[in-house]
Amino acid sequence: MSKGIERHDFEPRIMGFVCKWCTYSGADLAGTSRMDYSPHVRMVRLPCSGRIDPQFIIKAFEQGADGVIVSGCHPGDCHYNEGNYYARRRNLAFRQLMEFNGIDIKRLEFSWISAAEAIKFTQIIDKFTNRVRELGPNQGYKELCDPYADRLVKPSEESAA
Amino acid sequence: MIEQIREKARELLENGELDVVIGYAEGSDPSRTTPIFCRKPEDTDKLVFDARCVNSLPNYLNKRHEYPRKGWKKTGIIGKGCDIRAITQLIAENQLTRDEVYIFSAECKGVVAHPEKWDGSLHEGNCASKCSSCDVKIPLDTDFYPGEKPKVDRSGPYEVTAPAVTNLMKMELDERFAFWRDDFDRCFKCYACREVCPHCSCNICITDRTTPSWVDQAAHTKGVFGWHLTRAMHLVGRCTGCGECTRACPVDIQVDLFNQRMKEVIQESFDYKSGYSMEVKPPLITYQTDDREDYIR
Repeated sequence: MSKGIERHDFEPRIMGFVCKWCTYSGADLAGTSRMDYSPHVRMVRLPCSGRIDPQFIIKAFEQGADGVIVSGCHPGDCHYNEGNYYARRRNLAFRQLMEFNGIDIKRLEFSWISAAEAIKFTQIIDKFTNRVRELGPNQGYKELCDPYADRLVKPSEESAA
Repeated sequence: MIEQIREKARELLENGELDVVIGYAEGSDPSRTTPIFCRKPEDTDKLVFDARCVNSLPNYLNKRHEYPRKGWKKTGIIGKGCDIRAITQLIAENQLTRDEVYIFSAECKGVVAHPEKWDGSLHEGNCASKCSSCDVKIPLDTDFYPGEKPKVDRSGPYEVTAPAVTNLMKMELDERFAFWRDDFDRCFKCYACREVCPHCSCNICITDRTTPSWVDQAAHTKGVFGWHLTRAMHLVGRCTGCGECTRACPVDIQVDLFNQRMKEVIQESFDYKSGYSMEVKPPLITYQTDDREDYIR
């Protein structure tokens, strides 16, 4: 059943901001059903996709994320009735803003995943991970955050010396 | 024109209808004007209104500045067409009520891009770029307008997008990123862009909050990117395009390009124009069930 382990040169770091009523439960279902999906995503559970401030996404990129995935309930399914409608408008604007700033919006994913859609969840995570892997590290933004990063002595080099 | 405004302001201050008139007065040198708060009728003689009046006075009406002060019944304010759009937007956002303000205005013929460029007259060389596509030179909503207010046709295309924005959008992603990186490298986070903005109305700005510190306060490119993205995001659908942020920037970063781009996006996606109506809510605090979702999987 297991897909086996594939090694890649670059393993992306992906942040997931998810709604606790739908996507988190969907991920939970994927877990309890023992489905395989890429292990690169780090999930943060939030009450609603309307709670996901674009600030979180900016912060994730600052802290070295290569991709960010935002996910919530399908329109009309929101536990708080309208949170995801606000999130939809906000993220539309935010994506355009990121693009205008020169950040590749392929690194940003927005999806609706309900608590029953474990398969959709695994597919979206897999697809997104592959896409970010092809794009490579988010070099531009990482250099912004630490222009001297490449000059730092890496732990492995230190022990070799 | 200004004589009529002075006269009216004096009259309203004398009979106690207004507690203060916020306007422009001669500044420290002949190329500048400075904001003035007229509390006494005789102060109104200092008022001026011409192409040097670049400041956006509605800045004093937002909650951050705690104006209008408690106990003031009514605040008079002198504004250009674009300032009045800002006031309209503040009212639409419930920052202000229409009864609290008394708006004086007059026809605006454009303002200088920067006081340093003032050479005694306004011409193409020193006119602010926002003025070329302005459709509120005859202001929208006023309480006092000298003479008869001419009827204007505002059905035409609203605010042409600045060529700088179109040029940037034509660039490749990497080029655009490099453009902003080089520009933001100069930013030393004086927050002038925030201080002059009539719509930055948080009592405590998110950058000033340190627990947790969402935006890095160091003037390092990381924090600068975070700050400018945050600022632009907070102004989506609210910015009325007065261009004060760019004018106030001491290192000439074209901060308002973000706002102009977002204005374009909001107009395309939600058909919303900021600052034209007191009733229509800004797009990000409302929703439609059939909004665009072509970007969502």
